[in-house]
Amino acid sequence: MKKLYWIIIALFMIIPIGVKAKDIDVYVFHDYKCLHCKAELEYLNEVKENYNLNLHLYEIGNTNDKSYDANVELFKKVIEKLNINKNYQAPFTIIGDRYYIGFDDSTKKSMDTLLKDFESDIKVIEKVVKDEDTSDINMKYGEYSAIKFFGHELNINKMPIPLIATVIGFIDGFNPCAMWVLIFLITMLMNMKNKKRMYALGITFLVTSAFVYLIIMFAWLSIIGSLSSIVWFRILIALVALIGGLVNLRSFYRSLKKDDGCEVVNEKKRKSIISRIKKIVTEKSFILALIGVIFLAFSVNVIELACSAGLPMTFTQILALNNLSNLEYMINILIYIFFFLIDDILVFTIAMVTLNVSGISTKYTKYSHLIGGVLMVLIAILMIFKPEWLMFNI
Amino acid sequence: MKIVKINALWCSGCLYMKKVWKDVLKEYPNLDITEYDYDLDEDIVKTYNPGEILPVAIFYKDNIEYKRLVGEKTSDEIINVIKECL
Repeated sequence: MKKLYWIIIALFMIIPIGVKAKDIDVYVFHDYKCLHCKAELEYLNEVKENYNLNLHLYEIGNTNDKSYDANVELFKKVIEKLNINKNYQAPFTIIGDRYYIGFDDSTKKSMDTLLKDFESDIKVIEKVVKDEDTSDINMKYGEYSAIKFFGHELNINKMPIPLIATVIGFIDGFNPCAMWVLIFLITMLMNMKNKKRMYALGITFLVTSAFVYLIIMFAWLSIIGSLSSIVWFRILIALVALIGGLVNLRSFYRSLKKDDGCEVVNEKKRKSIISRIKKIVTEKSFILALIGVIFLAFSVNVIELACSAGLPMTFTQILALNNLSNLEYMINILIYIFFFLIDDILVFTIAMVTLNVSGISTKYTKYSHLIGGVLMVLIAILMIFKPEWLMFNI
Repeated sequence: MKIVKINALWCSGCLYMKKVWKDVLKEYPNLDITEYDYDLDEDIVKTYNPGEILPVAIFYKDNIEYKRLVGEKTSDEIINVIKECL
């Protein structure tokens, strides 16, 4: 009996009877023409009582009505100050230090999870309105379900992007244009019998190739980052991807009629690269040989980028559509580059360990054309008709 | 039996075929194989008119060209041609 008494007392202490939950300020920038915005407002009104929401709604789509100009100005100011939603998409929702771009079933689930356990006293919009310093606020996407990576939070909703980076990078890696240069370089290095020099020159070639891709992809990202919200620009990129995809499919179709093997192309360019490699290998000064390899990797990768038929560009466009943080851009581009170089790394490592250069069958190149072609055509179609399907955080 | 092989140092498919030929040589160790490099032995290679796909293996029967295998092939395909030539 005494036990029961203590249990009842404990239960009264645990259950917060009559304690009113804290009000939650929800700021939504919406467009009256947008169906996703409409769906979000319906949802928020539905759950308003359950979570004690204070809804602050800002119409930004009705540009004909001057009374909404202040909302548009605030929308721009918030984006500029917080450095998020750079594509100016709606609906754009801010709850504490969390934000959402777009709205669908997954956003709804994420908002539910966030609102259930909401704990934040940060008043972002008030700070922006008052022109206060917002540099200390670290805005994070969505619910509290992000995973930690070197102290930074990565959104789980964006996880398909690394997967896409892996697939497209891997397919791009089978581009035979740059591979033959590495194979020739390794074969010539093998004749040197100087293992240290072999390692140094081979690794320098691979690292420089990665660096060239990194620079090109970041440069491209910064160009299209600001333009990707413009419909005609997105369609232009989609058309390039479509042409690239069709080129890949044509290559696959042609390869079906031919024997599997290495195609002998562009004699002049091949001979010039071969003579450059010979010079590097026979160069007595190690520093000059190293500089020669760096220049070789630079020129080969820049020229051969065209050979990739738009795969890196298509991937960068997907990144731009997803409004990621700089760290996430960097991680995804590095994943792409790693898988782009994985076959080269494999050939190099095997050659260094076994002192025997082994080649990868050209059959894989043939199928990379097929998979790459189908993927690019698919992405191009989505970019034109369903770009939101490529926006994994929306 | 005489075989002329045309490879290139840069050709991944040619390197891949090295393993295949190793298997063939286990069964037929006494083949008379001459190898040329597409770029390093340019003048001689031209006389064989190798075409656009590498590697190329030219098989001779009674010193007359009997058959060509172009591109990547299996060891069985190569052995079949060798058997025809012998």
